[in-house]
Amino acid sequence: MDKVTRSGGGRLLRLGAASLLAGLLAATAAQAQDEKPVPGGTVIAALNSTTIPNLNTQLTSSVPALFAADVWADGLMTYDRLANRIPRLATGWTLSDDGKTYTFTLREGVKWSDGKPFTAADVVFTLEAFGKFNTYLTKLVPLIDKASAPDDKTFVLTLKEPLTATLDLFDKEVFPLMPKHVYEGKDIATHPANIAPVGLGPFKFEKWESGKSITFVRNPNYWEAPKPYLDQVIFALIPNPQQRLNAIVNGEINWFRPEVVQVPATQAAAKKGTFRVVPIITNAPETAVVDLNLRRAPMNNVKVRQALFQAIDRQRIVKDVYQGLAETAKNAIPTQFKMLHDPSVNYDTMYPYDPKKAGELLDEAGFPLKDGKRFSMELTVVSIAPYDAVAQIVQAQWKAIGIDVKLSALDLQIWTNKVYTQHDFDASIISLTGRSNPVLGVDRSFTCNQTSVPFANPTGYCNPEFDKVAAEAASAPAGKQRALYKTYAEIIARDLNQLALTNARVFEAVTNNFKNLDAQFNFAFNTHPNWAEAWLPKDKQ
Amino acid sequence: MLRFIGRRALYAIPLLLVIVVLMFSMLHLIPGDPVQALVGDYPVPPAYRQAIEEKYRLNDPFLVQVGNYLANVVQGDFGFSYQNQRTVLSLILERAPRTILLAAVSFGLAIPLGMLIGIACGTTRHPGVDKFWTTTALIAYAIPTFWLGQLFVMFFALKLGWFPTQGIGPMVSRTQGFAWVLERIRYLALPVMAFGIHEGMRIARIMRASVIDTLSQGYIVTARAKGLGRGQIIRSHVLRNSSLPLVTIAGYAFGHALGGAVLLETVFTWPGLGLLLVDAIRLRDNMTVVGVVIFSAIAVVVMNLVVDLLYAMLDPRIRTMR
Repeated sequence: MDKVTRSGGGRLLRLGAASLLAGLLAATAAQAQDEKPVPGGTVIAALNSTTIPNLNTQLTSSVPALFAADVWADGLMTYDRLANRIPRLATGWTLSDDGKTYTFTLREGVKWSDGKPFTAADVVFTLEAFGKFNTYLTKLVPLIDKASAPDDKTFVLTLKEPLTATLDLFDKEVFPLMPKHVYEGKDIATHPANIAPVGLGPFKFEKWESGKSITFVRNPNYWEAPKPYLDQVIFALIPNPQQRLNAIVNGEINWFRPEVVQVPATQAAAKKGTFRVVPIITNAPETAVVDLNLRRAPMNNVKVRQALFQAIDRQRIVKDVYQGLAETAKNAIPTQFKMLHDPSVNYDTMYPYDPKKAGELLDEAGFPLKDGKRFSMELTVVSIAPYDAVAQIVQAQWKAIGIDVKLSALDLQIWTNKVYTQHDFDASIISLTGRSNPVLGVDRSFTCNQTSVPFANPTGYCNPEFDKVAAEAASAPAGKQRALYKTYAEIIARDLNQLALTNARVFEAVTNNFKNLDAQFNFAFNTHPNWAEAWLPKDKQ
Repeated sequence: MLRFIGRRALYAIPLLLVIVVLMFSMLHLIPGDPVQALVGDYPVPPAYRQAIEEKYRLNDPFLVQVGNYLANVVQGDFGFSYQNQRTVLSLILERAPRTILLAAVSFGLAIPLGMLIGIACGTTRHPGVDKFWTTTALIAYAIPTFWLGQLFVMFFALKLGWFPTQGIGPMVSRTQGFAWVLERIRYLALPVMAFGIHEGMRIARIMRASVIDTLSQGYIVTARAKGLGRGQIIRSHVLRNSSLPLVTIAGYAFGHALGGAVLLETVFTWPGLGLLLVDAIRLRDNMTVVGVVIFSAIAVVVMNLVVDLLYAMLDPRIRTMR
């Protein structure tokens, strides 16, 4: 009972934060009306790596590339802070009654950052040339019947069968538009434009100083003129999270995204008044999970999996590791997907922390305590905060019910090889980042995967019943998806190939010298500031 | 002299060969997937994997890869870094001057500091002074540079706000001339202090021992007997003779530092070779790893040569030995 009220409190807190923010925004919006934006100035934003192999987010899902792409790239649509879909380069879109044909009307008079006109042919080209290379489109590409541009301003996509997530797949984060005139006839995967891009975003690529910074300057051809107001966006390459925080405290950078474990320290430092910490109202799902290897005994016994789940005090992970800035994961469908998440399937009530019950389940499964021990297993984790800390808590709690748990904290590459390629693990902890729809980043944990492809279901769980429901849910018309996703969540809650621990919140820190930050931070999921809205008063430039 | 240098250069070739083969073998044995590192934490689409593997010939047999690499190195081609999308040589040429700057300024501070403390300890008549500096030097030398660096950041950058917390220079600079130099010095100050103190204390310890050893030599007794003053003995007899071990140690350490002070560069986000190496290992960018290690090896070889030449200059006996 205690847990239920607490998690309810978490939701209330979030609502409270949202309304507080809305109030603040209204106040700053009124204030902003009195002031006219002026051009000029620089924003220095931190990227979390010194080596970035690729800026083209058609080809990579890496976080620094995503941060940078918001600045130089653009797409057909995006989301506002409450996850409503809003137009970017498509001004409107319609879906045929059979759910198979999408027609997008494109914005007129738009030019690429190199001055060449943007047309529907570019959209068709992007889909045809990059579709097979884009990790998010693996589900869509085989379903495409035809992609065409009947005229310069119309893009038509016809599918062989409906896929309701299609619009999510044309979000600017997963489908940034690429210029046909730059890439056509060239080797796309290794094209130099992938690190010196030509795009539709508010800023254009200027220079890259190896290991130090990447500079983007105002794109004179940007379609939303007179935006952007700032002269340039410089990305400082700072791989260490503590150094990013130090840098904003010392006034060396203007923006960074703190790691969730850093947020309290960042909030404390923000009290000095030079920068603020902005909560992202609808963030991309960031779910810490335990994958269980069903190929091995005793993990192939569902009672053991249930026992392992009930032996974990997920509230303690929320409190100790995430310092309250996460909630316990409710079911396989993250709560961010409001239209699809069904709250009646709730791990908090189905599998509450109950070590005694967990022990009983293990007794029933044939693993009674013998000399204080039931069985031995290996728990593997990437040795990156906060997963190492999560793993330590899980290890301690499993030990408490008599399981001998060996913890292996490994380098990312070695861990990836062990878990996904070799399948040499009993249990494995990682946090998986989702996008805006279960098709993107959620399905991959549960659908049958007999290959050794990294970051796709490593558990060996292969349930045709589930795969069928997942496919039906993805293709059902918008109003009818929720019931199917409820079944989806129920099957996973029953089979538990993966134990979902926490869903973390996301915050970004930005210095207070910028104006119009409310409009600048009006985004959701994997979007980050494109710096087209913010401006700097003359005296602060 | 030229023959001497030429011979040393020839000796270095088998050494570098062994390093290349060893590095390739080790990197081959570590699990890792460079294509996955390109894509991030989502599955790699098969078409993309194929395109990258073909382009960079990642699936060639091990011996073919080593053979091709060696053939290219002979022609001055150190391979292509797929994680940086440029040639390894151009990367090293961009990163190395930053590491050299850090190492040179640090040793520029460390050598006089270390010598001063070493000589003071070795020649002092007050045991208290010697004890104090010996203990201080031992403690300072024992503190790891990365930890000292972090302490400096917390105190001098975050608390006092005197210096930037990280980086090699400002993202936007409006300064010119002397102001520009001062600005660079602000960025250099903390890493140089951390590195310089550590290396300086090492030098101080060597210098002290060497000075004490020199002072016990017969020619010092002779000099003293001839009525030379203390200062003059130190200047013209002790300093030069006790510098020999210093040259060896400092030269060797400097050679190492040129390969990139990995921890220090990480602590200060100093975008030199050390940071490049860390990223390259993390992302399994093998060409870059091998390239940086070769550069590092060459730096050590060259510095050893410089040490030998300095020896010959400092000690006439070595010059005339052949």
